[in-house]
Amino acid sequence: MDKLEVVGKPIKRIDGIDKVTGAAKYATDITLDNMLYAKLLRSPHAHAKVTHIDTAAAENLPGVKAVATILEVPKVLQYWYFLRTGKKEKQIYLRDNIVRFVGDPVLAVAAKDEETVSKALSLITVTYEKLPDLQDPVVALEEESIKIHSKGNVAMKAEKEFGDIQEGFNRADVIIENTYHTSKQKHASLEPIGSCVAHYQPDKRLTVFSSTQLPHWSRHYLAGALEMPLNKVRVIKPYTGGAFGGRCGLIHGLEVMCSWLSRKALRPVRLSFSREEDFIATESRHPMIIKMKTGATKEGIITANDVKIIADVGGYGTHYIGVIADCLSTGGALYKIPNYRFYGTAVYTNKSLCGALRGYGNPQMNFAQESQVDIIAEKLGVDPLKIRLKNYRPKGDMDPVLREKIQSNGLPECLEKGAAEADWDAKRCQLPGITVIKRGIGLSIMLHGTGAAGALPDPASATIMINADGSVNLLTAAADEGQGNRTVLAQVASEVLGIDIEKITVSDTDTAVTPLDCGTHGSRQAYSGGLAVKAAATEARNKMLFFAAKSLGVKQQKLGIKKGRIYELSDPENNILIHELMRQNQIGDMSLCEQVIGSFSGIASAMPGYYGAIFAEVEVNTETGEVRVTKLTSAFDVGRALNPDLVEGQITGGGAMGIGFALTEGLIVKDGHILNGNLTDYRLLRACDVPEIVPIIVESNEPTGPFGAKGIGEGAMVNVASAIANAICHASGVRLTDLCMTPENILQKLEEKTA
Amino acid sequence: MKKIDIKLTVNGEQHEMAVAPGERLLDVLRERLGLTGTKEGCGEGECGACTINMNGQAVLSCLMLAVQADGATILTIEGLQKGADLHPLQEAFIGESAVQCGYCTPGMIMASDALIRNNPSPTQGMIRDALANNICRCTGYDRPVKAVLKAASQMKERKNG
Ligand code: FES
Ligand code: FES
Repeated sequence: MDKLEVVGKPIKRIDGIDKVTGAAKYATDITLDNMLYAKLLRSPHAHAKVTHIDTAAAENLPGVKAVATILEVPKVLQYWYFLRTGKKEKQIYLRDNIVRFVGDPVLAVAAKDEETVSKALSLITVTYEKLPDLQDPVVALEEESIKIHSKGNVAMKAEKEFGDIQEGFNRADVIIENTYHTSKQKHASLEPIGSCVAHYQPDKRLTVFSSTQLPHWSRHYLAGALEMPLNKVRVIKPYTGGAFGGRCGLIHGLEVMCSWLSRKALRPVRLSFSREEDFIATESRHPMIIKMKTGATKEGIITANDVKIIADVGGYGTHYIGVIADCLSTGGALYKIPNYRFYGTAVYTNKSLCGALRGYGNPQMNFAQESQVDIIAEKLGVDPLKIRLKNYRPKGDMDPVLREKIQSNGLPECLEKGAAEADWDAKRCQLPGITVIKRGIGLSIMLHGTGAAGALPDPASATIMINADGSVNLLTAAADEGQGNRTVLAQVASEVLGIDIEKITVSDTDTAVTPLDCGTHGSRQAYSGGLAVKAAATEARNKMLFFAAKSLGVKQQKLGIKKGRIYELSDPENNILIHELMRQNQIGDMSLCEQVIGSFSGIASAMPGYYGAIFAEVEVNTETGEVRVTKLTSAFDVGRALNPDLVEGQITGGGAMGIGFALTEGLIVKDGHILNGNLTDYRLLRACDVPEIVPIIVESNEPTGPFGAKGIGEGAMVNVASAIANAICHASGVRLTDLCMTPENILQKLEEKTA
Repeated sequence: MKKIDIKLTVNGEQHEMAVAPGERLLDVLRERLGLTGTKEGCGEGECGACTINMNGQAVLSCLMLAVQADGATILTIEGLQKGADLHPLQEAFIGESAVQCGYCTPGMIMASDALIRNNPSPTQGMIRDALANNICRCTGYDRPVKAVLKAASQMKERKNG
């Protein structure tokens, strides 16, 4: 790899000072002059028809400025579908009088202050005709079940087979079949999901401050829903208090509702969800039932995998197509299993809606598949690490789903380094102990895609403007939810331009200023955003060199740039400072007056997989069923760590979230009501609960990536739960197939074992 | 509704105002004084994002009524910095990469500040316990804990040095 000055260094994040001083503004911190406050009225029923809404008393209340109901405001937009088709706009904006889960918005009120809003809401009467509700996705699939949506309860079905599944099982010496259940995990970003300020002005312009991950696509959906031209809708993303997929598009009942109220009142409106609303009425992870049948030869070569998934979408679907596709593409590509069959069904139920959450469908799929691989290893008496090395799909192979050649894969190194750090060989041989506390170690691997080039419209753009003093403005819509991608993009620009990173300012994320970017999803910003910035910076660099060549009297190719100075490679004494050259170009030479501007817009050439191996060490209390994770070792191949500090931050943060997914995190739904919709009963890990998490960075140099980089953000949590399940089995001899792996579940399995 | 007059000293400045009996201290700080550095993550005392310092102790401002704070001396994240210099905790949070989204950061720093005031040399374990009320969804806590350790030792050095 070439010698780099800025890329690969643990540069401190550019937004650090803003965040430690309280200066950083998040959407809920924004107050506009003359602003109104809004709140939603939500359905108390899991499934009902709204037969009558009486808002007269509320509308007559002094201070109430606008009321909007679901009869006029579209509730749900079919995101990706809309992007792809564009044409069928009217049908994809769902606008009806049915509520489909407890918490489904019915109407919204905007008034001069929050007190008046609450008063107005109490004066509104909504009459419902209750409908039977469906909570179980398997029941929802039955022919005779009532229909939640007019087309039925099946949101989608996906089918794929490669190889010959029957032949695969015929060749197998051992075949196992198990069914796995995964939980309804919540993002629980510390800033509750659902905060925006919308301002519709009399000249028919709309400005929306929203903590969305996808500013440009949000503008697209909003403009479609409100039937406005794109240039009249401006989405500004302020600082965001974590997202993890929960802000991957418009929020159900948020931006459209808020904008509608603002249009009615012609005043700015703020709508913010409480923590409880975040829990009960914004998206969560799709719970899945995964039936998996896997076969292998006695040498430990996996010959067949047959997968049937039922994903519970909830009352409305936003990301289910991508989530199901992700199960197939990650599961099918991680191992070179020649015969693979996949059935995925996404089903509506009357629960809160599901969407994107760190890892998409991968954590669910990985939990099942990595458990299967361990079970096979155990049956055959093969080391779990070795069976993975035997079966993983290496660099040079074709990805069977994406039909792309794998150009980098650092899995063997992840396994090797992780095993050394975790002391795998020694600990795996140790007996679990004879006390009630049993110790064990387990591992699992994962693959996750970087970006979605080829699968979805996935553009990235950047503009670089070099100022007369040699400083730089970088315009990008790459939304930063805290990962630090704006810092990484500044590093990329600094590296290419040869200009100090302190002299680079990264723009706010504002669709009126920054060129098209599909947003922050799929672990893509360092990769796709990085490629765009690299290309824009290269164009700016070449333009600078063009002018410098004239000024220094040498050919462009003979010049280099370092630390703000352009010099002749063979005679560094012959040089010019960038700021002198730029000043001359823009101001000094009145016949020229040109600013150097570089720009790029387009799509990455690939969707490279990034890989990881996690080693989990646990203690299982066989009397109480409690599990304590004592250490996680997470080794990830990120291609190239553009900023190792930030990569490690993703790995440790993802590790903690993964432990939560494994052990404690899941919404409990009873008769359509979420019983643990608060931060006490929904158990997140606290500072005193988190074990040592050791991040290990492996660099395989992805040829399509900027400086060799690929993703990390989502992957860091994908295979935590499977590693823990495998460790629990090593410690206690019981195999957990359901998430969360609670003490009750473990005790039950222990009892079954001794019975 | 009848309003009640209160006096507060916030970040060294005195304020007098009439507040409603049910008005939360958090809203007074954020909405009336424009000090939006103090965050609301739950409004129920479960997350620590709204932690401030009142009369030398860490307090959850979402659980405190403004009238209960009458006469109090309050420090928020905006008041921690002395002139152009960041507080050692602020520096350490940046230096140790303890900040990701930053939404928990003001509360974490204020809780840590109260900890160090009461115990200038906390151990890892003490820090983890002291921060148990402050949820961070992004970092996995390792970096924030390291930042507090570093800031504490730096503050001690400066005091002794
Ligand atoms: S907002 Fe006060 S503890 Fe969460
Ligand atoms: S940095 Fe995001 S919650 Fe702590």
